[in-house]
Amino acid sequence: MILETTALRYNYGPGNKLKFPDLKVAAGEKIALVGASGSGKSTLLNLLSGVLPIQSGSIRLLGRSYNDLKPIQLDRIRADHIGIIFQSLNLIPYLSGFENAVLGLAFSKARRAKTEDVAHVTTTLGRQLGLAPDTLKRRPNELSVGQQQRVAVIRAMLGCPELILADEPTAALDPSATKKFISELSSSIESSTQAIIVISHNPEIIPWFDRVIRIGQE
Amino acid sequence: MFRLAMASMRSRLVAVGLVIVALSASMALLLTVERIQQATKSGFNQSLSGVDLVLGPRGSGLELVLYTVFHLGKPTNNITTATVLDIADDPMVEWSVPVALGDNHRGFRVISTTDEYFDRIKFGGDRPLVFAQGTTFSNLNEVVIGSEVAEALGYTLDTAIFVTHGSEMLGELHDDFSFNVTGILAPTGTPTDRAVFVSLEGYELIHLGWKNGSKAVSLENLDIGTIPKERLFPKTVTAVYLGLRSKLGLFKFTRKVNDYPEEAISAVIPGVALAELWSMVGTVDSVFQLLNWLIIGISIIGMVTMTMTGLDGRTREMTILRALGVSPPRLACLVLLETIIISLTAVLSAVVLVRLLTLGISDLLGQWAGIRIQLTWLAANELMTLMIIVLTGLGASLIPAGMVYKRSLHRGFAN
Repeated sequence: MILETTALRYNYGPGNKLKFPDLKVAAGEKIALVGASGSGKSTLLNLLSGVLPIQSGSIRLLGRSYNDLKPIQLDRIRADHIGIIFQSLNLIPYLSGFENAVLGLAFSKARRAKTEDVAHVTTTLGRQLGLAPDTLKRRPNELSVGQQQRVAVIRAMLGCPELILADEPTAALDPSATKKFISELSSSIESSTQAIIVISHNPEIIPWFDRVIRIGQE
Repeated sequence: MFRLAMASMRSRLVAVGLVIVALSASMALLLTVERIQQATKSGFNQSLSGVDLVLGPRGSGLELVLYTVFHLGKPTNNITTATVLDIADDPMVEWSVPVALGDNHRGFRVISTTDEYFDRIKFGGDRPLVFAQGTTFSNLNEVVIGSEVAEALGYTLDTAIFVTHGSEMLGELHDDFSFNVTGILAPTGTPTDRAVFVSLEGYELIHLGWKNGSKAVSLENLDIGTIPKERLFPKTVTAVYLGLRSKLGLFKFTRKVNDYPEEAISAVIPGVALAELWSMVGTVDSVFQLLNWLIIGISIIGMVTMTMTGLDGRTREMTILRALGVSPPRLACLVLLETIIISLTAVLSAVVLVRLLTLGISDLLGQWAGIRIQLTWLAANELMTLMIIVLTGLGASLIPAGMVYKRSLHRGFAN
């Protein structure tokens, strides 16, 4: 089991209490988390990433409980085992596409160890996602939104972290680009070791996922 | 991490560059001013040694030392030779060297004295004056010149020169009697390099026909050999350098001279007079230094301000790094690293700047005041100063670093 949550709740103050369904995610699973805005999707992503402290309930990633770990250890876990894709503006503006793509490896020895030939793996992944090596040399402001999102996918995937978290990764894309992007994203998952959770409010992406979990409905 | 910091700063090149310029310029200013102050002080203190007392007309001791030793200002009064001889006979006096000032040669001070001057007067601790060429004067028409005079005017041994009356270059020329260069002194780095030495008798001779500051009788019509010796014996001199047999009697002897009944004279210890000078310029020095540090403080505030205002535009960058597992302390370190790079770059360029500045002004200072400025890259005390500045900058940068830390702690990725 890659991820397991039980009885997660988050309280932003009176009148704004969030309650999340329990998750059990195994290797190879592709999960869509669907919910209206304000349902707490982003809060859940932050809790799963380990940047927001747990108030009640528990999260276990690869057998380790977040509740027992210090913030700095959670940062380590995120560096080594979680790849995160935001809905937009995923890239550091002053680094090239390639530099952005390999940035995650700079902060994780574990992921670097799992990547033998960084340049080769990066360009291969880029090709699978439709990015030519030349495109990767460009700065983010010279890339289309779709290309930026694909660079973010490479960054999340490099070094095979066990859990990929994507927060509305298609929000900035038009409908036809959305389908193409989601199919490319789901096919880049290593089914034996990785799982992906995509947060979205877009029902069109559902066909690419094994399970759909709805949140914020009580 | 380092490469990330460099790349980030490159993207803000103009702002970062301006901060570096401000920082390094203010540091260079501080170091250069300090070097000039130091050079001035040591230049003055090194100029004269071996002299226990300077004897002159009563008045400001500092003024006396300034015009006799440093050729700054003009002598006002003279003392009579009778008094000088009387004092020189005192059992406590080991030697005495009288000097008479007043004329110049092309802007260089003419010092008339005895040939003992070159044996008695020392400089830079206890180094004696050395002749690079030739020897001391032994005739009326012989002159010894300092190294800078020889170099600036291209004089060699046996060059014939005239002396101008008064301290102004445009004064009336003593064109009726010429002196031949008989000796050139080796460089000393003191006002001696810029002096022209003649014998007291030679000096007396060219003023022989003068009354009330202008020439009445020309020497051309006189047979110099027929002038009686005692006519060439000076009646007054400007000052006398004295060496005592024992330093123990210094204060007692000074008091005795100051109470001399026949003439209003006084004796000054050169070091004491200079200490008086330093205490006078000391206030100006410290105000200057305070201003300098203020400028540096403002530059550091500029650096911190730039970093802080820059943070707002870098929330994306910070969020991405957080998502990649960079911990809040490491983010804070990234900000600190940037200020370290900025301040070290500023320090390096300041050192280069100081070097260029001192090279640029050293000639000017040398000519204008005979001051030799230190031309090294960096002295130990300067390194200290720079380190204090870097550490202060680093300390101030804890503010933006702390802001980054606090902002990233316990905060989710907000879109």
